[in-house]
Amino acid sequence: MIKIQNLHKSYGNTAILKGIDVEIKEGEVLAIIGPSGSGKSTFLRCLNFLEKAEKGIIQIDGEEVNLENFHKSQAVKLRGKTGMVFQNYNLFKNKTALHNVSEPLRLTKKISKKQAELIASDMLAEVGLKGKEFNYPVALSGGQQQRVGIARALALNPYVILFDEPTSSLDPELVEEVLNVMKAVIKQGRTMIVVTHEMEFAKDVADRVIFMADGHIVEEGTPKELFENPQNERTKRFLKNYLSLHNFGGVGI
Amino acid sequence: MNFDLGYMIEIFPRIIEYLPIVLYMGTLSFILAVVIGLVFAVIINFKVPVLYQILLIIISYFRGVPTLIQIFIFYFGLPQLFPSLSSLEAITAVIFALSVKNAAYLSEVFRSAFLAVDKGQFEACDAVNMTKWQGLRTVILPQVLRVAIPSSGNYYIMMIKETSLAFTIGVVDMLARAKLESAVTYKFLEAYLTVGLIYWAITVILSFLQSKLENYVERPYRKEATK
Repeated sequence: MIKIQNLHKSYGNTAILKGIDVEIKEGEVLAIIGPSGSGKSTFLRCLNFLEKAEKGIIQIDGEEVNLENFHKSQAVKLRGKTGMVFQNYNLFKNKTALHNVSEPLRLTKKISKKQAELIASDMLAEVGLKGKEFNYPVALSGGQQQRVGIARALALNPYVILFDEPTSSLDPELVEEVLNVMKAVIKQGRTMIVVTHEMEFAKDVADRVIFMADGHIVEEGTPKELFENPQNERTKRFLKNYLSLHNFGGVGI
Repeated sequence: MNFDLGYMIEIFPRIIEYLPIVLYMGTLSFILAVVIGLVFAVIINFKVPVLYQILLIIISYFRGVPTLIQIFIFYFGLPQLFPSLSSLEAITAVIFALSVKNAAYLSEVFRSAFLAVDKGQFEACDAVNMTKWQGLRTVILPQVLRVAIPSSGNYYIMMIKETSLAFTIGVVDMLARAKLESAVTYKFLEAYLTVGLIYWAITVILSFLQSKLENYVERPYRKEATK
């Protein structure tokens, strides 16, 4: 179970997160949508301490950190409960696909190089990259790189996987392959938080959707509730803009 | 025409005999310059209070003073202040002067190479919970090296050549040997040309090795699939 209470984050005088409260059950898939600058990516990055929020309590699978008063080792433990998939993939550029997955395992889980490579090789096969083990990132397409990114996060077997707009940097024809891998991951019953602009995807696979704007959670509910019957004016406006922009017409995306 | 090729061939073995001392001075200075330069780069990068300000002055000084004058200051000047340094060997003074001076330049090379590494690489290391040191060692430093090798290699070659200043304070290197030889025979052109050609050959060889090394570290960033 993940429980976030009253999370605050600001850059200088600009408040980005103004008190976020969320609970996520084990195995739940939570999608976060919202306009750019709403703080959804920042929220995700606060959960694994890529950004340090200045106030609030983060609790993941029994590890609790009070952001106003904690020890570095607590942050490391909490981070160990998370895996991250980045918008820009952020694969280690000097490592092959295989070593992108196996090196973190070897270094942080203290297992042998050989065993780490075996696990990594299985993981790559799982995301459909058998035969690409020895390619460096530069020799992989965006979709393939992102799948390696997912394999890297999966291999560490974290409690929750955080996806930060995983398809936003991809060419449209490569989006599908990444979404399919994510769907397969969801079938394994993993807990996931997905910040995304892929509304159809959120609607299809999320158990719950949160709409964020201006550092607040404006509305949350099941995909059906949020997409088909939004209550808040802000949510309605966002979805309407999205629909007209993407020319879907009709009801319910 | 008055040019004695036979004489060049005759003195060649007597001059190249001093190649090891040239390589020793140049290489040791370079290694020290890299180590000191890295320390400088870290201090500058993290703007360590006090040390940072002092360092900026030191770097500015060593960039502004000609190497030969620096060598004289170390060798002839410093023992005046610290008598214990009067036993300072000439070679040590040269290595000292060359390494500190080039450390000042290399610190800039390392700093910009460090800045050239994509911020996302650091974040990825953090996200998979590597320690700072694990991330540096396996991901960041190899990428820093890739950027730093071409210009550091040029500094190495420059330093090898700069060691020829050592003869001015009595180190017997290739140039000093050539000077001694020609003082007897008055065949200056042949003697100095021999030294010059040897330096040229070293430079060509080192440049070749450098491009091999660059090719090697460039491997992961080339598009073809690699085993």
